[in-house]
Amino acid sequence: MDRPSWAPDDIDLDKPTAARAYDYLLGGAHNFAADREMIRAAMSFMPDLALQAQANRAFLRRAVQYLVDVGVRQFLDIGSGIPTRGNVHEIAQRAAPDARVVYVDIDPVAVSHGRHFLAGNPHTYVLQEDVRNPTDIVKHPDVTDLLDFERPIGLLMVALLHVVPDADDPYGIVAHLRDELSPGSHIVIGHGTHDSRPEEVAKLTAISRQTPTAMSTRTREDVVRFFDGFELVDPGVVWAPLWRPDSPEDVPEDPGRSGNYVGVGRLG
Amino acid sequence: MSGPAGAAAFAHAWADRVAGTSYVSMTRAESRIFLGALTGRLAAVLAAEEFDAVAVHQVGTDFFDAGYTAPEALGRTVALVHERLLRDLGRTDPDGRLGRLIDVLASSCARAQLDQTLDAQENMRRAALVARIRAERALHESEARSLHAALHDPLTGLPNRTLFARHVAEAFDADDRIGVCFVGLDRFKAINDSLGHGVGNAVLTAVAQRLRAVGEQLFVARLGGDEFAVHVPRTTCVDDVLKVADRVLATVAAPILVDGRELTVTASAGVVERPTSGTDAGDVLRAADISLHWAKADGRDRPAAFDPDRNAADVARYELAAAMPGALARDEFYPVYQPLVDLNSRRLVGVEALARWRHPVHGRLPAGSFIGLAEDSGLIVPLGLRLMELSCRQAKRWNGPLVSVNLAVRQIRRPGLVAEVAALLDRVELPPELLQLEITESAVLEPDDETVGTLRALDNLGIRLVIDDFGTGYANLAYLADLPVRGLKVAAAFLRGQGFDSRRAAVLEAMISTGRALGLTVTAEGIETPEQARTLRRMGCHLGQGWYLGRPTDPSSIRLG
Repeated sequence: MDRPSWAPDDIDLDKPTAARAYDYLLGGAHNFAADREMIRAAMSFMPDLALQAQANRAFLRRAVQYLVDVGVRQFLDIGSGIPTRGNVHEIAQRAAPDARVVYVDIDPVAVSHGRHFLAGNPHTYVLQEDVRNPTDIVKHPDVTDLLDFERPIGLLMVALLHVVPDADDPYGIVAHLRDELSPGSHIVIGHGTHDSRPEEVAKLTAISRQTPTAMSTRTREDVVRFFDGFELVDPGVVWAPLWRPDSPEDVPEDPGRSGNYVGVGRLG
Repeated sequence: MSGPAGAAAFAHAWADRVAGTSYVSMTRAESRIFLGALTGRLAAVLAAEEFDAVAVHQVGTDFFDAGYTAPEALGRTVALVHERLLRDLGRTDPDGRLGRLIDVLASSCARAQLDQTLDAQENMRRAALVARIRAERALHESEARSLHAALHDPLTGLPNRTLFARHVAEAFDADDRIGVCFVGLDRFKAINDSLGHGVGNAVLTAVAQRLRAVGEQLFVARLGGDEFAVHVPRTTCVDDVLKVADRVLATVAAPILVDGRELTVTASAGVVERPTSGTDAGDVLRAADISLHWAKADGRDRPAAFDPDRNAADVARYELAAAMPGALARDEFYPVYQPLVDLNSRRLVGVEALARWRHPVHGRLPAGSFIGLAEDSGLIVPLGLRLMELSCRQAKRWNGPLVSVNLAVRQIRRPGLVAEVAALLDRVELPPELLQLEITESAVLEPDDETVGTLRALDNLGIRLVIDDFGTGYANLAYLADLPVRGLKVAAAFLRGQGFDSRRAAVLEAMISTGRALGLTVTAEGIETPEQARTLRRMGCHLGQGWYLGRPTDPSSIRLG
């Protein structure tokens, strides 16, 4: 049977989701008790988790700013989460009001909220889809109405690929999406790792199994492989705070504590 | 340090102090500029004549709205203001204004926090509700889609057999009468085979479109393959459905353009119209199917209405056909013998063996009621051989008149016939000249090498071959010269009644003289009156057969000599 990608039963507000938990980490109130409870449990052994989420978010901001600076005017943000503060369209449209942004998330509540939040913005669209169906994303009529795949696109996958296990072929998914992009497009990846804090991250991974999107962290080498077919933009794949920081003050003493590798790749 | 430089220093310290308390979508430089502006507004409040609580409230709200939402951001701000705002601005605080400023700042942040939290929570509850409604709708639509898919044909989009049956069942409840027309495309397989399935599908799609256009009140379905069905509502008689069938056949027959090629496809239709009482949907659909079968059997490109008598006859035939293999095994088939008489001397020269079936229920059945069925099913081969054996044994017993046995086309086409006949003659020890085999004209209409070879081999065995029913097919006189036949049998039916048709008699006479000219023995069948016997003798016919000369009978009733 041709079932929809999500069923009413999937909308269980008593179960945490990554999108809402992330919102809570960033200081937002777009979350429910179950999300907050999960984050509080995680913070009991990883008290700086909120700081690391902020570092991730700050990287997204700098990366989008960079893409706008090099002329990218279209963005496909997969795993966008709850679109509240510091969103891609805010950053992009501040610099280029005609910038177009498609948000994609698997979380139906995040999508529903996003659509309401972005109702007055004709240059944005929020799609409910699973990154594991890349064709359904890039061929969706509402997506192709807004984004021209013949022109450069900024493909954002920040804090996304570490919830796609190897069994679901994340490298194949990225390669599939890469093949849809035209030269001058960029990929932005932020990816959790256990390299720097193996024990804490193992516990965090265990906790993430409460959500529909359990974590599968990877090593730096594995993260670099996602950029196959792209030219890495300086400084390559680095700890989140080290990617083109706004100021040296923003770089903490031990950037590895961020637990996130990030990078930007350009399609030649 | 005071004045603008002091304000900038305060803003610098403020930005550093609140950095990391919550996510703010600004660079540190941007946050210093932003907080510098807020510091300037606070400085203005401290410098003003009157304390402006509204201005401070707005500073607090803007601070919060910029993203400094964490309680720590407010706490650290309050501490910093307390600690060094006056000092950095180079001011004193004679009227205790700083305390009021901090109070308003804190309460405005708290108010903003509460408002934003409540708004966010409300938005999320609504988002969850909307998401659930969307999910339910999506599920419902997908169920509706699968239901539609289960009841429709994907190629043409028409209802499928299941939905048609359901629709007809519903019509049974709604109407007194029911009218159904099944439509089958004629020779559709040839289109698929020769032009490919792509063209075949295009034809089906075009036909579906045309059927839809025949009438809005009609319910059209695709039953599968090249078969469609139409329910005609509110009928009063079979003509109502036949009229629809005529329109359907006409619309299908118009040329169909596929890939720039014009195709003409005809259709046959099976029509049923009857009261709903005393029947059910299954019966009606079966009857329509049978009628469609008749339309095709009757020559295609036509409608056929259901006829209970024809159906009863069909059923009886079917039952008879089904019973034949068992009957053969139980030896229920046997020959009777009809005399072949010399028309000049009136002496018996032979007998024709004719098949009968001793049916346990229907009694003795004539050949006409079952030989056709045996030919259709192929049972004619063992049945023919069995009758030949029984006839040969009888001929051996008589050891006098020859016995003439019918040989079916299927038997002739079968490899091994010659060996079987030879073995039979051997087994029975019958001199071959006492066996005559009658083959129909159609068997030798266009004789191929194998058929000719078989006939020559039979002739070489010493068996007489004659052509049965000569002149009833499309006789090709040329073959008569080439085939090893010794005689012809012609039908005397032309001479029936008083004063027969002279033209037909002339044809008969021509056939007889043709046979004589070729040196063949000519036998007339179906002689029923003395006049016929006399006429045929005068025409030169050698032998006669018919009721007047002797009915088919048991071997014991045959008078020899």
